[in-house]
Amino acid sequence: MSELYFEDISVDDELPLLERTPTEDQAIEFFGRDNPTNPAFGDAEAGRRMGFGGALVPGLLKLSWISHYVGAWAGTKSNLISVRVAFRRPDIAGNPLTLSGRVVDKRQEDGINIVELEVVTLADGQPSVRGNIQVELPGRNS
Amino acid sequence: MSEVEESKITAEHRAMIGVKSDPIEVVPKAADASRMRDLLGDKDPRYDDDTGVAPPYALAMLEPGLPPELSPRVLSSGILTQTEWKFMKPIQINETLQAITQVISIRDRLGGRYGYSVLVTFQTDYLNENGDAVAASLRTINQFDRGDE
Repeated sequence: MSELYFEDISVDDELPLLERTPTEDQAIEFFGRDNPTNPAFGDAEAGRRMGFGGALVPGLLKLSWISHYVGAWAGTKSNLISVRVAFRRPDIAGNPLTLSGRVVDKRQEDGINIVELEVVTLADGQPSVRGNIQVELPGRNS
Repeated sequence: MSEVEESKITAEHRAMIGVKSDPIEVVPKAADASRMRDLLGDKDPRYDDDTGVAPPYALAMLEPGLPPELSPRVLSSGILTQTEWKFMKPIQINETLQAITQVISIRDRLGGRYGYSVLVTFQTDYLNENGDAVAASLRTINQFDRGDE
């Protein structure tokens, strides 16, 4: 994992792209096989009955991927402050997703170093999730 | 998708706004955190099994169900459209948290993928045994009627 410091970051810095291909099995495993979930997560036919093109990828799984994506970039001295996402289009299991991220702001508030990022997941080149994430990073002298 | 000329949100639905649930005990479990870390490929040593700390996304397993009288059901199907998580303290494995949920808004939405739909936003606050806020979540469900109804 990387170890980033506040001073290392500039606005417009980009995170390395990351590709994930969600599966129906991952959706079930994410919530635990003994826990009931939306049938459309693990069953393509149930997803189609709901009007989607197959098994839905759970929003909370995508949110967790995004949280981890930014956390892995920011490193083990960072703290996740907040994650806010809008699910723009349903994602269907089996379709690859590409995560991308960009620093949009850095500032100090009450002595805390805050870095704000925009993260997008792309499916077939179109945004399916857009998010804003705030992380706290250490300073080199702190 | 249904054609609707007036809101299906009733006074009964609106009366649920701002009504807080009783506290519901939720406990972050080591097995959940471990399973989710493995699935995501998370190697952050802060969340290793012996640390007693859960990764932030473990919050996904803590969202409590709500009794029907606090959970407006205007249309038959629903899909998550927005979520926000805020973290004030690390989530500790096996720490009993009190989750308090309320509906904070209900609004109509016209047009878009689902035709007429209704956006319901819930807020959940997670408090530790000292009453300190550990985390909070906002989630918006887009309720819609399926096309075959």
